[in-house]
Amino acid sequence: MVGPLYDFVANPFGAVRLSFEQAVAASPAVDPVAAFAGKDWGALDLFRDFLLEKGGLSQVPILDASSRQWIQPNSLVRFRGMVQDMLGKELYIGAFQDGSNWRTNKYSDGALFPMPAGCQSAYESNLWERLLLHCVPVPGHNSWAMHSTPPQVFRNVMDNSMYEHGEKRQRDEEIDENNEHGGSPSSKKQKEGEHPCQLNHSSQGSLVQGGFSEPRNGASLSCVIKMYDTPECDLKLNDVFEFIAIYTFDPEVVAYKEDADDLMDDLLDDPLMHLPPSKVPRLHCLICRKLAIQDFVSSPLSVELPSMIKGIRGSLLSHLTQVLGNDGLAGECLLLHLLSRLRARVDAVSVGKLSLNLTGFNGETASIFGNRITSAIQSLLPFSQYIPLTVDYLNTATLQPKKNNQTGRLIPGVLQLAQGTHLTIDESHLQPGNLDSNGVHNARLLKKLIEQLSVEYDFEFYTSEMTADVQLLILSDGKSNIMPADLVLPFCPNAVNSIANPSPEELQSWRWYLDTLRSLPYSSQPDLHQMLQDELVAAMREDRSLGCQQLNRWLTMARLISVSFGEEELSLEHWQMFKEIERLRKERIK
Amino acid sequence: MASSDYSSPYGPPSSPDGHSSPIPNTDSSPPIPPSTNGGRRRRRRTPTPNPNSYQTPTRSSIPPTSPLSNTFSTPRRRGTPSTPLSASDAGDEFSDPADPTPVFVWGTNISVPDVNAAILRFLRNFRGPHDDPDSLEQGKYMRAIDRIIKSEAGESVDVDAHDVFDYDPDLYAKMVRYPLEVLVIFELVLMDMVARLDPSYEKHIQPRIFNLKSSVSMRNLNPSDIEKMVSVKGMIIRCSSIIPVVKEAVFRCLICGYYSDPVLLDRGRINEPTRCGRQECLALNSMTLVHNRCSFTDKQIVKLQETPDEIPEGGTPHTVSIIMHGKLVDSGKPGDRVEITGVYRAMSVRVGPTQRTVKSLFKTYIDCLHLKKTDKSRLHIEDPMERDDNSSTKRTASEDDSLDYEDKVEKLKELAKQPDIYDRLTRSLAPNIWELDDVKRGLLCQLFGGSAVKLQLGTSCRGDINILLVGDPGTSKSQLLQYMHKLSPRGIYTSGRGSSAVGLTAYVTKDPETGETVLESGALVLSDRGVCCIDEFDKMSENARSMLHEVMEQQTVSIAKAGIIASLNARTSVLACANPSGSRYNPRLSVIDNIHLPPTLLSRFDLIYLILDKPDEHTDRRLAKHIVALHFENPESIVHDVLDLPTLTAYISYARKHVHPQLSEEAAEKLVCGYVEMRKRGNFPGSGKKVITATARQIESLIRLSEALARMRFSEWVNGKDVDEAFRLLEVAMQQSATDHATGTIDMDLITTGISASERMRRENLLTATRNLVMDKMQLGGPSTRLTELLEELRKQNSFEVHLNDLRNALATLMSEGIVSLHGDSVKRI
Repeated sequence: MVGPLYDFVANPFGAVRLSFEQAVAASPAVDPVAAFAGKDWGALDLFRDFLLEKGGLSQVPILDASSRQWIQPNSLVRFRGMVQDMLGKELYIGAFQDGSNWRTNKYSDGALFPMPAGCQSAYESNLWERLLLHCVPVPGHNSWAMHSTPPQVFRNVMDNSMYEHGEKRQRDEEIDENNEHGGSPSSKKQKEGEHPCQLNHSSQGSLVQGGFSEPRNGASLSCVIKMYDTPECDLKLNDVFEFIAIYTFDPEVVAYKEDADDLMDDLLDDPLMHLPPSKVPRLHCLICRKLAIQDFVSSPLSVELPSMIKGIRGSLLSHLTQVLGNDGLAGECLLLHLLSRLRARVDAVSVGKLSLNLTGFNGETASIFGNRITSAIQSLLPFSQYIPLTVDYLNTATLQPKKNNQTGRLIPGVLQLAQGTHLTIDESHLQPGNLDSNGVHNARLLKKLIEQLSVEYDFEFYTSEMTADVQLLILSDGKSNIMPADLVLPFCPNAVNSIANPSPEELQSWRWYLDTLRSLPYSSQPDLHQMLQDELVAAMREDRSLGCQQLNRWLTMARLISVSFGEEELSLEHWQMFKEIERLRKERIK
Repeated sequence: MASSDYSSPYGPPSSPDGHSSPIPNTDSSPPIPPSTNGGRRRRRRTPTPNPNSYQTPTRSSIPPTSPLSNTFSTPRRRGTPSTPLSASDAGDEFSDPADPTPVFVWGTNISVPDVNAAILRFLRNFRGPHDDPDSLEQGKYMRAIDRIIKSEAGESVDVDAHDVFDYDPDLYAKMVRYPLEVLVIFELVLMDMVARLDPSYEKHIQPRIFNLKSSVSMRNLNPSDIEKMVSVKGMIIRCSSIIPVVKEAVFRCLICGYYSDPVLLDRGRINEPTRCGRQECLALNSMTLVHNRCSFTDKQIVKLQETPDEIPEGGTPHTVSIIMHGKLVDSGKPGDRVEITGVYRAMSVRVGPTQRTVKSLFKTYIDCLHLKKTDKSRLHIEDPMERDDNSSTKRTASEDDSLDYEDKVEKLKELAKQPDIYDRLTRSLAPNIWELDDVKRGLLCQLFGGSAVKLQLGTSCRGDINILLVGDPGTSKSQLLQYMHKLSPRGIYTSGRGSSAVGLTAYVTKDPETGETVLESGALVLSDRGVCCIDEFDKMSENARSMLHEVMEQQTVSIAKAGIIASLNARTSVLACANPSGSRYNPRLSVIDNIHLPPTLLSRFDLIYLILDKPDEHTDRRLAKHIVALHFENPESIVHDVLDLPTLTAYISYARKHVHPQLSEEAAEKLVCGYVEMRKRGNFPGSGKKVITATARQIESLIRLSEALARMRFSEWVNGKDVDEAFRLLEVAMQQSATDHATGTIDMDLITTGISASERMRRENLLTATRNLVMDKMQLGGPSTRLTELLEELRKQNSFEVHLNDLRNALATLMSEGIVSLHGDSVKRI
């Protein structure tokens, strides 16, 4: 099987095996294998060399629901996903002696060569461990961000025999797989049915779906990732990773728990039981990389001239203003909102966040502008979600991720989001009605999210707080009290104009702009502090109702204005600009 | 083959055929009874047991209890009790092995006779730190064994691993490294010892090791821990039902009815005899299992999960399976926090017959030897002031780990001893809100709370302190509330605007004017045993507010709905804040006039603070500086000399749980004197007006406050200083809210009726003057007079200022007396 120059993509095991054998042969130790437990023997270097140095990365297909049908098992794939659950460790026989040859089981589900019966007992020294992760496509992943990488030439190698498994069968299985997620799909479907008003709009059907953490492109593809030699502390829940891994999937495998006579398996089982290999592919990770937003955004012509940034700012602002029906002030605020990011937490104060509540959405405006805003945001940010808030939704949705100790799985909730996700909450459809206990709980979760940017995960016997750096935009009729936002602005569109479709280049530059400036570091300028303090003191004297929160928001907004111009420091000019915006806003509130 | 249902974990991967047996072939060491020997060998080598060793009548009555017994103990157990061993024999045999060359267990450094002797020495000679080493009394473990034999109840001896370590570190090391081997020997030694002490004692005694020197985090269990003794802490999240496990099986021949000898478990399986054992029959494949003649043992599988404090940020908890045997079954329930000592083991995943690939996976579990519950708080009897800590489980989690807990308590006690603890606590409460120190002190008292008293008649006196904050907008009242909500266990934060006091379900309403959505929640019931923070108290509906009357004094909520009258507990402290009805507080008016709250409700607050926004350059600047620093400086560089939130909550909850102060003589006296003093202040010598400066409610408040103050110091006694401070706090609050601005004295009538005594006097004077005027100037049935004329006249006659409103009030009173009639602006005498 091992060719002289093994095919890394089609037969990654070849490389693994060969390098292992070489390493064993080169090792002078009596027990050559023991040294390899928990570390690499050189196989990864081969892959790194191939992928990164020799440009092999572009040959590796990206695994998603559509490519899954033609990707061969036991080949190399790339997979981008969010760590949805961590399933603990798994012990396996790392290496065994087959006659005089040493074999390894690393990076594979089972032994490729039959293990001699004896090795089952003499395993003790060669028991290695690997970490199991359950990864799902990032919730709210917008379609443009999925195909940011060039299309593959790999399709040519598509194997027809693999294709014969047929789409239909795959689909069925995927539906089954979905059902594993704690029975939520049924309630989801029900919910979708309950919002006929939104479904009237052809474009909103997909939006509604998006709000329920279903990936937009049909069937979901979740994977069990097996991580080798990675310390667990490097991985966090909800991190987005790119894995380059060996794909194994075998729909033929019968679930190995057929014989129900094993009472104890009921409890000794692992969560993998509920993710059978016949439905959920296994990926044996060779190389992984944590992804940030910028990995989804391709940078345009890399010019960072201040004038360029100013230009992009101008065009983006006018686009947003257009989207918002020529409401310039709302456009400015929306831009600042999109640039906000959690910078620090001091005591109970989260510094840097700027949630925005646009009020005045009722009936007509809601249906027109709600759509426009969400689709504009979708085209600008890689991850965005839309939640139409209704009493029914609050009562029935599972927002909170919850650990099911029966299956050992973390059941995802709508609020299990990747860092940096944008969340639009549309309260304009909220009608008076009764909330049950679940509804109250959900409302509390949302409030906590907007106030502290953290979500409580339910682990049955206790809850655990996870930070969630999300941007929250609330669309409502009056000021929302369920989701008290930092910045409240009455929305005053003065024209229902048509939006000029932005060119791909423009979109690209805007995306780049938003991402780059968002992560711009702040630097401090002590001489400005005194001025700001004086300004704040003066403002407080003028308006006694100003509180800590308001002043915090002021500084956040001023900061964001200077950031929007690509500057790390706040300047007097931008402070004046902020004051003008705040003045206009106040006028409007009156 | 009759397969027992737990074959895999007991198919001992650790001691596979022959070579890695824990107990070596000890034929050469004569003292070990031959039958034991044979049994041991048989386990390893012969798949079918040797029938002659099954003759002891006692065997099936011995319940196997050890997790290891399935593999190790059965043959041995069978041998020992039946073998007559003379005491002297047993006494010497282990310490003086006949064979000079040490025999090691394969793959280990364990020499059976050595370990045997070491264990025997330990059991016989170990003396606890409190025992007199020279006394002739028996050691700790000998006494324990004696006790067990006498009571005939025990089946196990708890062995503190620390004791083993102290006595013989080498033995400890061996025991942890090779637990399977050492425990078997340990058990053997115990057996022999018991047999020697009381040959008729038939129960099997096992060693249960606990309290290892170090415990492993579940996260760090790795392949190198396999087959070692480990101790892990965690929380039980699931328990299986009890699984009966066949210990010995009896078969019957279907053809001749012959009962086979009991067949023992062999490597997790019971081998069904293929041939009838009776010489006359010898039928093939005729044996069937006789269930009611088999002996079973209990087994249970438990899932243990990491406690929240061990989970790194952004991680999910790990779990591990624990197998419990015999007596340990059902000793833990889901939700219990336990420390498990056991042997970490792995078993291969069974290969299904349909499986193509060979499974290279292993499942891991811990064979439990000892279970210790670390959660003591569950044992507490319900205490009216005890709080459940649902909202802050993180803290409880770490608290309950006994060692950590002790540590923490020590630290808290250290803290409590500091002389400035009161000030420090004050500073730590909402550190980013400045000034308002006295308000914060009051809030602290509320958090700590007084003691509830239950009288014999069933009525009870609340221990909760209710506080009302009244003040100008923008004076961070809401922030204080939010902070309190965060600090207090089971706190509920609600806005008065949308609170239905009772509703158990909540309701979303829409403000018809602004379109704002409002959430109505049943706050009071939900905050039972917590602090219920009500923002915008003044905007609460009449209906909801009337509910509070009951809550704040009786601490219950009564609901009458559909013919059912229910009284729900709402043992909650109320912390409310209200805005003055005008946009700003009018210092000329009383509290009641300012906030439009019924006096009956107001009087139920122990402390009422006025937070007036006095423009203060200094405070503003401090706030501005803080906010600027927050945004422009490295957040880590901002340091407060304060307790952090977790410490503060831990401090408070510890105090609430464990400190129940009582009034000392001195304090009681001071209270009485102080109260009398306060009452006296109302009587001005020579003036006829009676001002009530204190009521019975105040003395109750004072007691609660001083108890709370004592609690802050973790003191069981309320001393004089506490009482002084309580008086000071009350006075500060009263001065602000109940000061009669006309006279400058404290007047409780302001709170209880909304009208100060001086005001009442003034009104009475006006009334008399008006009456006189009416009587003098107007004739019965005469023409009507205009109001303004009357006002002019009054002003002329009297020295004091008269307002039109006051006059109207006076006339209204006269109208009710039937003297005048008032139509619009004209007054007529009737």
